[in-house]
Amino acid sequence: MADFSRESMLDMFIYEMNQLLEQLEQLIIQGEDGYSMDEINEIFRIMHTIKGSAAMMLYDNVSKTAHSVEDLFFFLREENPSNVDYSKLTDFVLEGMDFIKAELGKIEEGSTPDADPTDIISRIKGFLQQLKVENGKASPEEAAQAAQAASPAVQTASAPSEAKAESSAAQNQASLNNRYIAKIKFEEGCEMENVRAFTLVNNLKDVIYDVVTDPADVVAEASEAIIKKNGFTMTFSSDKSYEEICSLIDTTVYLESAEVQACALNRYSAIIKFEEGCEMENIRAFTVIHNLEDKASNITHIPEDVVSEASTEIIRRDGFKFEFSIGKPYDDVYEMLYQTVFLKELHLEQIKSESESTEAAEVKEAAPAPTPAPAPAPAAAPKAQKEEKPKAAPAKKKPEPKAAPAAAAAKKQPPAQQMISVNIGKLDHLMNLMGELVISEAMTTQNPDLDGLELESFNKSARQLRKIINDVQDTVMSMRMVPLSGTFLKMHRIVRDMCKNLGKNVELVIEGEETEVDKNIIEHISDPLMHIIRNSVDHGIEMPEDRAMLGKDEKGTVTLEAKNSGGEVLIIVKDDGSGIDKEKVMAKAKASGLLKKPEEEYTDKEIYQFIFHAGLSTNDTVTNYSGRGVGMDVVVSNIEAVGGSIIVDSAEGEGTTNILKIPLTLAIVEGMLIKMGGTKYTVPIASIIETFKAKQENVFMDPDGNEMITLRGNVYNVVRLSEFFGTTAEVETIEDGVFIMIENEGQSVCLFVDELIGEQQVVVKSLPKYIKKIKGISGCTLLGNGDISLIIDVVGFFDK
Amino acid sequence: MSMDDKQQPNKNIDENFDEDTTKDKYLTFVIDGEDYGIDICNVIEIITVTAITWVPETPPEIKGIINLRGSIVPVIDVRVRFKKEEKPYDEFTCIIVTEYNEYTVGLIVDTVNEVLLIPEEAISSPPNAKLKYQNKFIKNIGKIGDNVQLLLDVDKFLFS
Repeated sequence: MADFSRESMLDMFIYEMNQLLEQLEQLIIQGEDGYSMDEINEIFRIMHTIKGSAAMMLYDNVSKTAHSVEDLFFFLREENPSNVDYSKLTDFVLEGMDFIKAELGKIEEGSTPDADPTDIISRIKGFLQQLKVENGKASPEEAAQAAQAASPAVQTASAPSEAKAESSAAQNQASLNNRYIAKIKFEEGCEMENVRAFTLVNNLKDVIYDVVTDPADVVAEASEAIIKKNGFTMTFSSDKSYEEICSLIDTTVYLESAEVQACALNRYSAIIKFEEGCEMENIRAFTVIHNLEDKASNITHIPEDVVSEASTEIIRRDGFKFEFSIGKPYDDVYEMLYQTVFLKELHLEQIKSESESTEAAEVKEAAPAPTPAPAPAPAAAPKAQKEEKPKAAPAKKKPEPKAAPAAAAAKKQPPAQQMISVNIGKLDHLMNLMGELVISEAMTTQNPDLDGLELESFNKSARQLRKIINDVQDTVMSMRMVPLSGTFLKMHRIVRDMCKNLGKNVELVIEGEETEVDKNIIEHISDPLMHIIRNSVDHGIEMPEDRAMLGKDEKGTVTLEAKNSGGEVLIIVKDDGSGIDKEKVMAKAKASGLLKKPEEEYTDKEIYQFIFHAGLSTNDTVTNYSGRGVGMDVVVSNIEAVGGSIIVDSAEGEGTTNILKIPLTLAIVEGMLIKMGGTKYTVPIASIIETFKAKQENVFMDPDGNEMITLRGNVYNVVRLSEFFGTTAEVETIEDGVFIMIENEGQSVCLFVDELIGEQQVVVKSLPKYIKKIKGISGCTLLGNGDISLIIDVVGFFDK
Repeated sequence: MSMDDKQQPNKNIDENFDEDTTKDKYLTFVIDGEDYGIDICNVIEIITVTAITWVPETPPEIKGIINLRGSIVPVIDVRVRFKKEEKPYDEFTCIIVTEYNEYTVGLIVDTVNEVLLIPEEAISSPPNAKLKYQNKFIKNIGKIGDNVQLLLDVDKFLFS
């Protein structure tokens, strides 16, 4: 049972983690100027969950890092300190988050998250101590101690919370090779209690041995219910101190309460009084001792010679006093002694250590029991007392007893389940099936067998079917649509970090973030968007003092806006910075040899497009963020990969506007079906400028045999699709074929094909993996009759 | 884990097959009069030749792609792969749809014969002399009575 499979849980874990981190990032950025209590609670809760989940998946370093941040917010929440450097706090939390993100990345790739969090944890701890000192919650000595503790020693033990740090050294040393009993309760509704229990045992396996668990077979399905009901009890030996064991167990996920009891030879002192008139007190006392001898050691008693006649009187008068050491918790000992026949009074104390025996010991008085048979009242008594016991007996509760239930409550009862998360693979599959359904429908209703038949009723039903299928198709498509808000909100962090580093003052305004785009596309635009925003902040927005001089508001504004426009989504990034220096761009372009026509002939728009060329940066100084000239070309290629385009406009001194045009979805393409050499191809309508017929006299050839065509005074290259793909066409003469002018990045060519068939929406399928990437083909689609049509990748025709 | 390796899908050949019955079984097919065998574990189904869409810029043996109930499957003409003369597809021509390492590929063969049980002891290695004309796609040679089956090395066939 050592290595149960976690694969299925892993996906969920990563998903959940990413969600939490995203949420956290938002909260942190919003709260940089000071957190509200709600936000602190929320951050605490998130960190708690991250810690828990990571510990469950045995990712110790993640869990520990989360733990240290959690501690930080625990302090904030409990103490509500007034003197907090929120900016620094934010830096620490973000650093911790970045660490966790990096580790998550490794997990996603299938490697082991092995980075050492010691450094960051110790720094966070140091910061926490500093906070405490500054707010008078801890003495400087303690701070020094803690700072020491935060150094290498932390590596092995899990971060002890402050409560534990105060523990007496005496106990640490005393308890070598101890036996412990741990009663673990998990939060209600955490599910998979058996697995969690197993994880706990597994986590501790290096430090504990001789483990006995109840239920014995932890992972068994049946154990889940038992643990849920009764909690999970484990008895084990360990050479770790009580505090260490507690802190290790405390890292358990979804822990509601953990009660650890050292069964280490606890010393108890007991006074027993027997009922009056029971006679032979000496013998009875001896029996008690005799019974104890099997279980306890080091028994001393007053009077020393129990059996002597003289003792009878002493015991009758003062009670029988004895001390013993036993490896059992207080309750068990109490119950054991309570069984004594003719017991009238039982006074049991646990002696913690010699010095504090009276203070720390637990004192419990039993109500007089008239008979050995336990009457209802005394039976209830120990129970009632048990509940108020935790003070003295080393029962260990979670360090944040209030936190956990509150967090649990928040997590447990989500406001009626409105959202479910679905594997994107399933949606893709549904999408494929949808495509086939559409095709089958066409195959059925347009079946050649039906030709020439009068089928009024059939046609009516077919129309109904068509309508329903259309609705289903729309619904399936909408399921893949995700609002842009997640991507947009991430940009806050980027702007914040940059402002901090560059000393600028920029506000990011977000509009229309509820606009929805296909999930696949969102993944592709996140990076380009980040580059553009960085550019705007770095190149666009001026330094505050410069802005003041120019009479602008010192605070720069970057607006990120999304809106629907037909079948496309426009994402607009606008800044009120300096704008693009046309002359500078022109000079750079000239220096890089990018100019293809006389300088004066370039329009503003064309000049701005130069900034998307690799290696061209107008920033003279290279910063952390931009100026190396890489980036904007990546932006263009990423956007084009999803069939989008980007336009830049700028007014000098007033700012720059980037407009990203992206299609709503990748899965369905509006295409022009064409025929060439018996094969049907689909050309995306978005890339087609026009289609036309031409005459032979408009086509001419250069000495290399490249065909060109003149159209309305302009000359375009001609690409015969058959030649491009190395096949034979059915149509050779210009007059019989059709030209399709396609455009990419401002360049155009005319494709010569046999025949146009018509426009239609097609469901994009990728080519089988076995076929290597083909230039000029982006995928394929199934036509109504089951035929396959290859989808033309327009970019391939320009990439020489 | 070791169990999984044996439990290769074998859906359409015979519903009654379970993982044990796929052991030592080979689907035999004919290319140019010669019998070849392919491990039944790799076979998903056998179909007749349907409309094949030619795909540009692919090696000559890849005849194109077919629509297999909505999934797009590339097809390889085994004759071309074996550098034999092509012949037009007729009513005997079959496509053996195979699955190997997540790749689904159709193999166009002259015809398929039957599923044969060739026990391990009846299988011998190809001649060890490293001669020039040795076919690299043949993994082993199986003998059933007087018949000899050339057992295909699917990995090399698809990827070398």
